Amino acid sequence: MADPDNRWNRRLFLHLPAIFLVLFFVLPLMALVILSFWQTENYKIVREWSALNYVTLATESAYFVFFVRSLFLAIGVSIFSVAVSWPIAFFIVRHGGRYKLILSLLLAVPFLSGEVLRLIALQGMLGPTGLVNGVLLKLGSAPLRFIMYSNWATFIALVYLYLPMVVTTVYLSLLNFDFRLTSAASSCGANRFQVFCEIVWPLNLSGTIVGFLLCFIPTLSASLAPRFLGGPSGTLYGMSIAQQFGESGTWALGAAMGVVLFLFSIAVLGVFSLGINLRRTGFTGMGRQ
Amino acid sequence: MYAQASNDRLTKWLMGAILVAAYAFLYMPIIHILFASMSSRPNFPYPPEFDFGSYIRLYTNTVYQSAFLNSLIIATCTSLLSTVLGFLATVGVLRFAGRKALVYAAFFAGPLFVSEILLGISSMSLYYLAFELQGNMVTAIIANSVHCFSFCFLIMAALLYRYDWRMNEAAVVCGASPIRAFFEVMLPLTWSGILSSLIVAFVLSLNGLDISFYLLGATPTMPSVAWGALRYGVKPELYALSSIINILVFAAIAGLYFVARSDRNQPAE
Repeated sequence: MADPDNRWNRRLFLHLPAIFLVLFFVLPLMALVILSFWQTENYKIVREWSALNYVTLATESAYFVFFVRSLFLAIGVSIFSVAVSWPIAFFIVRHGGRYKLILSLLLAVPFLSGEVLRLIALQGMLGPTGLVNGVLLKLGSAPLRFIMYSNWATFIALVYLYLPMVVTTVYLSLLNFDFRLTSAASSCGANRFQVFCEIVWPLNLSGTIVGFLLCFIPTLSASLAPRFLGGPSGTLYGMSIAQQFGESGTWALGAAMGVVLFLFSIAVLGVFSLGINLRRTGFTGMGRQ
Repeated sequence: MYAQASNDRLTKWLMGAILVAAYAFLYMPIIHILFASMSSRPNFPYPPEFDFGSYIRLYTNTVYQSAFLNSLIIATCTSLLSTVLGFLATVGVLRFAGRKALVYAAFFAGPLFVSEILLGISSMSLYYLAFELQGNMVTAIIANSVHCFSFCFLIMAALLYRYDWRMNEAAVVCGASPIRAFFEVMLPLTWSGILSSLIVAFVLSLNGLDISFYLLGATPTMPSVAWGALRYGVKPELYALSSIINILVFAAIAGLYFVARSDRNQPAE
């Protein structure tokens, strides 16, 4: 490290991006914390320190209901996505052959086309006059009520939004997994169930956890999908935050809600990261160095 | 032995069926609105028609034009900024970080684990509290870059980890400046990763609503105009806009595919 050339390199290559993140990622989060201890009155910020916003959050049961609803939805969506992702990713890695690249890139098209546009597309599918109900009406049956403007609609929308992310993560993990280990285990007498439970699953657990989190974190704070598809009893926590910063103008309360969400996400990340070995995720490609 | 083989085939078919179902689930809405955008009956456009009226109405709508221009500016600047920073970070982590590589990698991937809405409202709070700024294009670009930076970092790290750094050293030993070594040795060998990162960041920031929404105030961007129009009911113009973007994204991904394939056909390092 004494080499001056190396020090300059470190400054340019490591510290410059790190400073960028500190300035525009860490600092804003700190500003959010400060704002959460101030008040808003008549759409203006009053700079008085108090924990009033947090008291409101703790005592007003509506916010608790929103949070619990978001939490259950996020857990459900993430578990469902992981369960569906495994067979898909496994199939692409093992049987994809030369179509591997096409199959994995095809997942990116729905992911990259943006939340709003995908919600418009979903509305075309699930809405009262959408494709699903249109087909049902043509067939002479009654329209399905539970898929429009309900928590089920939000569930479908969130799976639709984040499934590509989870499949890609599990796929990357399996791609870096050495499948000769499974043959070794079978020739040592393990049956297929044992091979999966004792070799494939534990060695890809890190990648799976990252996939779970990359679905769980945004779902927990989902704001657009429930507003558009969730209906009257579908208000979620993230949507409520968006309303504090939008229509109702209570920024400080919204900031407090954001801080709670952030701390909760950090806690979840902390608990799960105990099980993550970054080298095994296949994410940074550092596994084979 | 026979039971094992048929069991294997059953699993394979089952997984294949799930794959097909998932792709159908992901693509059906996209194809449905493509038909809806070209039909006089957008609710149930089957059998499909080919009427481009909604595309012409979209083209002549000035609100969408300025929104598209704003989005284009944001996306271009964001993709450049986040790719440059992502490239620096990738090289830093892979080459200069030593034992702290994992710490830096985790920090650089951090924004991925903070939701977009939190990123949006926290950046807005900072600019408002510190500078009394209502938000403008520059702040929107910076906040979008934070979000895209992590994607760029991971994409380039995944593609650069096989790069042999001795090539740069060899070039320098032969008398090239480090910058010349980058342009004449490293760039030709790693352009696929850099291009992928540019494309992904561009498309992500072109279509992201949450971050730009909180940082731009009244300046319209394409997602925010689409979101505003949604409240008044979905119109065929929105379907048309959505289809155009989907086709553009599809073209970008096809480009990525050919990039990745030509990269693979090169002789192994």
